[in-house]
Order: sequence, then C-alpha cells, then structure tokens
Amino acid sequence: MNTYAPPREDVWGPRRARIIAAALALVFVVIVGRSAWVVFNGPERSDSVSATAEKVRRADIVDRDGQLLVTTVQGWSLAADPSAIWDPEEVAASLKTVFPGIDTAQMAQTLSDKKRRFVWIQRSISERERRAVKSLGVEALRFVEEPQRVYPNGALAGHLLGYTNVDGVGVEGIENIYNDRLSAGGQPLRLTLDASVQYVLEEELQRSLEQFEMKGAAGMVIDAHTGAVRAIASWPLSDPRKRGDEPDDAKTNRAINARMELGSIYKPLTVAAALEAGELTPADEFNVSGPVKIGAVLVRDPHPLPHAHAVTAGDIIAHSSNIGASLIAQRIGPQRLQSFLGELGLLGGFTTQGPQTASPLAPTDWDETSMATIAYGHGISVSPLAFAMTYTPFATGGELVSPVFLEPVSPSASQHRQVMSKQTADTVLGMLRRTVTEGSGKLADAPGYEVAGKTGTAEKPTANGYDPNRNITSFAAVFPASRPQFVVLVVLDEAQPRTGAQRTAAYTAAMIAGKVIARSAPLLDVQPVLVSTNAEAASLRDSEGTTP
Amino acid sequence: MNRIVIIGGLVVVAGLAVAVYRAKLGAEETQGRIDDLKAQAEKVEKDIAVLRAEEAYLTRPERIGPIAHERLGLEQAAPGQYVASEALKQRLGEERLTLPAPGEAAEGTGLPAQ
Repeated sequence: MNTYAPPREDVWGPRRARIIAAALALVFVVIVGRSAWVVFNGPERSDSVSATAEKVRRADIVDRDGQLLVTTVQGWSLAADPSAIWDPEEVAASLKTVFPGIDTAQMAQTLSDKKRRFVWIQRSISERERRAVKSLGVEALRFVEEPQRVYPNGALAGHLLGYTNVDGVGVEGIENIYNDRLSAGGQPLRLTLDASVQYVLEEELQRSLEQFEMKGAAGMVIDAHTGAVRAIASWPLSDPRKRGDEPDDAKTNRAINARMELGSIYKPLTVAAALEAGELTPADEFNVSGPVKIGAVLVRDPHPLPHAHAVTAGDIIAHSSNIGASLIAQRIGPQRLQSFLGELGLLGGFTTQGPQTASPLAPTDWDETSMATIAYGHGISVSPLAFAMTYTPFATGGELVSPVFLEPVSPSASQHRQVMSKQTADTVLGMLRRTVTEGSGKLADAPGYEVAGKTGTAEKPTANGYDPNRNITSFAAVFPASRPQFVVLVVLDEAQPRTGAQRTAAYTAAMIAGKVIARSAPLLDVQPVLVSTNAEAASLRDSEGTTP
Repeated sequence: MNRIVIIGGLVVVAGLAVAVYRAKLGAEETQGRIDDLKAQAEKVEKDIAVLRAEEAYLTRPERIGPIAHERLGLEQAAPGQYVASEALKQRLGEERLTLPAPGEAAEGTGLPAQ
C-alpha cells in the first residue's frame, strides 16, 4: 500500500541561511570596524621609520651670543665583518697605513675571529680617512654612519666644554655636567661665555710664554653683578677633539679643579674683615719697619715699605706688606678672620650651578700662627674660581655673587649675599685702585679702564716647607673702578721672566691681567673713562652755553 | 527576502573591502611621501649642521682676528676712539653743515642729488 509521505521539512535550510548570514555579518562588522580604525587612527607605521624618528640629535652648545662652540654632525665609523675576511694580517697591515695608531697584531687577532660578524675598527673617522680606507679596496669593511661631536673652535674653552666619548656621552666638563640636558636634544645650551673674550684670555695666557717660562696658568673674566662667567681658561689648553688623550698637564683645569695658595691677593680680604669688624679705620697707622713675631711665625716683608714706621691699610695693600696684613689680622683675631673668610666661601660650602670647584684646604685649628700667615694668603688653598668670586663684593657694594655658567642669567640663577657694608667695599676698592696707580700693580693698568687690583706672590708649599725658587703669582682685579663691572683673575704657576726680572706678580701676573683687561673691555661693552673726551665735551658744553 | 539581504550585504562588504584597500594603498603612498620628505628634511638638517659647523670654524676668533687686521686694517678699539655723547652730537651737527643742500649734486662725494 502506497501511503502518502509528506515531504520532509528541511529544517536545516533556514539554519544554514542564518549561519551564513551571521558569518557574513561578522565579516561585515570586522571590515567596518577595521575601516573605522584606519580612518580614525591612520595607517600603521613601520618600525624602521619610528626608530628613525626617535633618534635625538644631541643639543649644540653656544656662547652667549649664539656663536657655535659644539655641535653634532653625521660622521662615519669603520667596522668589519671578520667572517668575510680571508687574510686578517693583510687587512690589518692595510688599515695601519690609514690609522697609524692601531696595533696590527691585535687587529689581526680581532679580525681572525670567524665567528664574529661585526667588530669596530675605528670610531669617528674623518672624511679623509674614509676616502683612504675606500681606496684600500679591502673587502668586508663597512662604514657605519653615526653622530659625531664637533668642536669647530678647536681648543677654545676646551677645559670648560669637556668632551664626549665615542658613544656621544659626556665625560668631562659641560658635556658631562649637562649630559642629560644635551642628550635630550632641543634648543642649544647657551653658556655665559663670550667666545671673543675667551679667545683674548687664552691668547694672552699663551703669549705670556714669550715672556715667561712657566708651568701652567689660569685666568677668568666674570661679570661681578650677575656672576656670569664670560671667560675661564686653563693653560696648557685642552683640545676636546683629543678626548682626553693629552699630557696630564693639559688635562688639569687649573681654573676650577686645582687648589693653590694664592698669596697677597688675600690682603684686601683681611683689611675688609678688620674694617667690617670695626677694628680698623683707613687712617690707622702701623709700624712695619721690622719683622714681627705672631704666634710661632716671624713675619717679614720681602722688601721695605716707604715710610715703614707709619703706614696705613691703604699703604699695606698698595705695597703689599705681609707684616702689615698680619698686624691687621691680629686686631680681629683668628676666629673672626676665619668667620669672614668662611662667609666668602673660602672654607667650603662654595657651590656653583655648573662645574664644581676643588674643595679648599684650610687649617683645622685657627690659631695666631695660621691667622698671621693666612692674612697674607699663605696656609690656605682654594681654586682660582672660588677666590675670584671673593672680589665681587668690592664691585657690588658688598654683595658676594656666585658664578653662573648658563644663560639666561636671572637673579635666581646666582646666589647673592651681603658679606660686607658698602662703605667697607668702596674703601677697599679705593685701596685696590691705588695699588695699580702707585703700588705693586702698575703693570696691570689699562688706560681708560681704571683697573683696581692686587698682586699676589706665594712660594709653593712642599713636604719640607715653602720652596723659595718656585712660586704662584697672581693678580686679582676689578674694573673699571669708578663703576665696577668685572672681576679678573690671572694666576701663573712658576712663571719666570725670561728677561731676568723678579718672578713676582708685579712683573708677571699683573702685566698679563692688564693686557687681558685692555683687550676684553671693548668686547664687553665697557665704556672707557674718557678723560680727554670728557674735557672736550665739557668745553663744547661751555661753548654751546655761551653761543648766542 | 533573505537572499536579497544577503546579496545586498555581500555587495556592501565587497564595496567596503575595495574602499578600504584603496584607502590603504593611498595611505601607504602618502606615508611613503612623508618618509621621503622626512628623509630629505633629515638630510637637509645634517647639511645645515655641517654648514653651521663650517661657518663656526671659519668665523672662529683665532682666524677672524688676524684676517681683520691684515686685510682690513682693523684694530682693537682704543679708549681714545670713544667719544662722549655730547661731543658726538656736536660733531654730527658740524658735519651736517658740510653736506650739500637738498637738490644739489654732491660732486665727488658719491652722494646722489636729491
């Protein structure tokens, strides 16, 4: 019997359609989603491009006027693939013709290591060396482009600027101190330095070799009101391009990192301490005609002073009397002298924004003996920079200013501390001016710039006492005296005049300081004191007044 | 009805796929141009850095000082060369008197007639 069999309902048909529809919907959602992602987020960038974009060019260093001192250019380094070298000895010998400094045996050994695919041959090569290597035609050598620090001014300010290692990391000087700031790239690091003044200072230190035999020198020019260091140099000069591959003499930054006994340039500080303590007046007279014993030391003057039986503090500074300085110090005593010098930052705690100075060496026990010698600058060693700042009060009406190395110089960039009254500062400044016009500092005079300063000659301390044949000569100055703007310090190490003249500061450091001031003052926009022109102007004013 | 929806959906998806593909191609092309420009900019920056270094090298005081002296006869400003502002004012006043009157040809002076 045939029975009617109704067609079986295809229950899977609608399900398949729904599954396909769902799958299509999913694809649709994915595509729309991805489209939206592309629209709103942009295309993905390749890793290489991102990596290139992330490379940061180390910031330049410029002087206060924007003169480029240090920059970064793309340079080349030489590398090799040892696995592709057949004859390492021959390659090493070829490289030796371009880089005479390489050790061929060691290089051959390095190039013999077939397991290595990459070794550095020489970092930071010059274009000339690159061409020479190319002309060798040696296989398996490759040039790698990498940033190279360049110092276009050569050794100018080399000690201060410092240098980087081959990987571009600062290891000395400003390059090291501000490494993080420089590594971050961006705007150039602007120093307070004035390249022209720096050049003048370095050239005068270098030229002084024509007149003296000497072991070393240091000098600086500092804006007394802001602390901005306009020039600071140490001789022998250091060339940053040599990356420290120099004699020890050139490596030492005598201006900042060395400490030395600077001699009689301390006398104005002793006088200022006594004036400030109220134990001295400019009219007080002292008898300096013979040696004086103070504590355990017999203080003498190397040369007799005119009218030695009755000299004032001004005479003591102008003619540099050790006896007089000790007698003045005796009036205030060791503790008050110690306290005053401490206020000036000469006993430690002297901080700067930038390079840190060498820590001072001073007596632990301040007794009559140490007081007597420190009064004329023996028995205490500080860095020349730390000392130079102690003359800023004489230019600012009593305010001690700390050094600043970076522009822009704002009032908050340097520390200002009143360490003496304006009256004391002005009185001592007058004595310093007299030292140049009448006393031991005559050779420091720079016509028109009213130099006020003090000479200092200190025998060098040795294990067996002071050596009379080796000394440090110095000259600390403020100019122009009628409206002080700058402090200058010049220090010469074992300077011996070739003419046979005395090796005292009066004949050595004072002369160099005078030349530095005469040449740098116009560069620093210091108006000279126009004696003749003022007279001319006065006569013109008179004639204008009388002309109908 | 379902079939129409499915076909319509497929067409839309296909259209979107093409659009996205084209957008991607366009983006890649644009990115390529951007990369080229960046590479050019980087090269120019490198060149500028080299030129600035060369400029600094050529204008370093050690070089400029002697050249200014030998070729131009320039010297360090001496204090006597400075003039008080009152005196300068007076001098300028005197010099004005020697200048030609407006409209006159300044013969031999190189000054143009006004």
